[in-house]
Amino acid sequence: MTSTAYKLKVLAKEKENTRRKLVITARKLAATAKKLAVIAREKESARRKLVVTAKKLKSLYETLEKKVFDRTKDLEQIRAKSDAILTSIGDGLVVVDKAGKISYINKSFEEMLGWKAKEIIGKSMVQIVPREDLHGVKVSFKERILTQVLSGQKFVADLTNPFYYIRKDKSRFPTSSIVAPVNLEGKIVGAVEVFRDITKEKEIDKAKTEFVSLASHQLRTPLSTVSWYSEMLLAGDAGRVTPSQKKYLEEIYTGNQRMVDLVNTLLDVSRIELGTFIVEKKPTDIVKLVQSVINEQKPQINEKKIRFTSSCVNKLPLIKADPKLLRMVIQNLLSNAVKYTPDCGKIGLQLSLHKDRKSVYIQISDTGYGIPKNQQNKIFTKLFRADNVIGKDTEGTGLGLYIAKSIVEQAGGELWFESNENKGSTFHVRLPLYQSKKKNGYQRSFLTSL
Amino acid sequence: MNPLEHKKTILVVEDERPLVQAIQTKLEKNNFIVVTARTVDQAIDYLENIKKIDAIWLDHYLPGEKTGLDFVAYLKNPKGAWSTIPIFIVSNTASSTNVRSYLRLGVSKYCIKADHRLDQIVEDVKTFLLHPEK
Repeated sequence: MTSTAYKLKVLAKEKENTRRKLVITARKLAATAKKLAVIAREKESARRKLVVTAKKLKSLYETLEKKVFDRTKDLEQIRAKSDAILTSIGDGLVVVDKAGKISYINKSFEEMLGWKAKEIIGKSMVQIVPREDLHGVKVSFKERILTQVLSGQKFVADLTNPFYYIRKDKSRFPTSSIVAPVNLEGKIVGAVEVFRDITKEKEIDKAKTEFVSLASHQLRTPLSTVSWYSEMLLAGDAGRVTPSQKKYLEEIYTGNQRMVDLVNTLLDVSRIELGTFIVEKKPTDIVKLVQSVINEQKPQINEKKIRFTSSCVNKLPLIKADPKLLRMVIQNLLSNAVKYTPDCGKIGLQLSLHKDRKSVYIQISDTGYGIPKNQQNKIFTKLFRADNVIGKDTEGTGLGLYIAKSIVEQAGGELWFESNENKGSTFHVRLPLYQSKKKNGYQRSFLTSL
Repeated sequence: MNPLEHKKTILVVEDERPLVQAIQTKLEKNNFIVVTARTVDQAIDYLENIKKIDAIWLDHYLPGEKTGLDFVAYLKNPKGAWSTIPIFIVSNTASSTNVRSYLRLGVSKYCIKADHRLDQIVEDVKTFLLHPEK
């Protein structure tokens, strides 16, 4: 019994122990469960946050996609608009890369030159479209303004110096063009050329020049009548004239002579522009010619008490030149110096053979009114007269320098100047003795060596 | 001696009436006998009838179809009777082609009216007739 009781007691104790352990385990489990519940709550919160973020991201993405779509549409529109603008520009337009290869041409280019874009994209503009000057001489690669612009020249407009572009079918048309470089981050990456067919302008200009020529010829007949009759009256062909009648007649004669000069100047301009200047070359003593122009101006030089100095080389070779045209150039420059130098000023004339012995150099300097800086680029423009002299001399026509420069350039020479307002001007002329070989077929040079 | 024997006869072909009068007066004052014509056809008529013409003073533009150039081409025909008559072109038209053509055809002088005094042109004509080699 006792042993049974004892056994039961031991068993009870063991059970108690087991119960206790179970209680401890239960407590541990409860603690673990609690922890797990906390983790679960945290996870749920994170999940919820993620859902919100995903939603936000989705909305952001949608907005972005719409924005990209809109922007693309805008860009397409802008591009289409630029394309439409470039295509429909009335002037021919060509874009070239750094190497001068065509990367874009517009519709007017295609129409004017007869090339289709697909035929010439990627090819050299200078080779595809040759250029000739007004005398039919092909302009070399180096001289092409496109080449000059690509090699760094800032900007070139060829408006005053028209030329011809040759079409695909080899026919040609007169053009004027402007070329500008395309700069990207300070480097030239190509160039844009815009050009225009100026056939109409040229026709109008020719018609105008022909009109001036015709009108001037017509004017000469009545001018001759006035001139000859006043001359005869002065000569006493119609009986003696009293001293005061003589004075009046002289005024008529002088006034008429001025008109004759003006008409002649206008005729010279129209001849230059029509290219019908008569060039009559003969052996010319240029020193003698310059001297004769100086003598002609002497009365005016003396009247204004101008100090005149000249240095002419005594030994200049006789040159085959048109003395009339040569005289016109020197006359224009010297009479300008006299006209635009105030009383008691100074004028210097220098004539020499250029160092290279291939050209004659003439320099005429004065201490006159000068040409204002902002008008110096217009001084060779037809009919232009600088502001500072318009009031001082009413007889000038604004044609003299235009004529002089045209003659010199047609002879293959150069005419240039420096000037400071109220200090004076210096004009330089360089005339070649030999005709430049480059301009073959161009017979206009009026100066060649004997 | 009859002074008329020394007088030279000059045919002036010019259509502008006031100019014709001035030229005629000046030439007569310088001892010329002056015959005037307004057109090329009229001038040819005079040449055929008058025979003795010593010089011709000729304008370029004239009424009718023919210009002074046509007249000179006709006169300078080497087989014709008038190829040696000196011709002086006095005109206000000096287009390069015209001047060249006249000189090529062999006219003696070409001058522009508006640029020359009348007495100077007359003097030139006289000098040429007296000393044609100059």
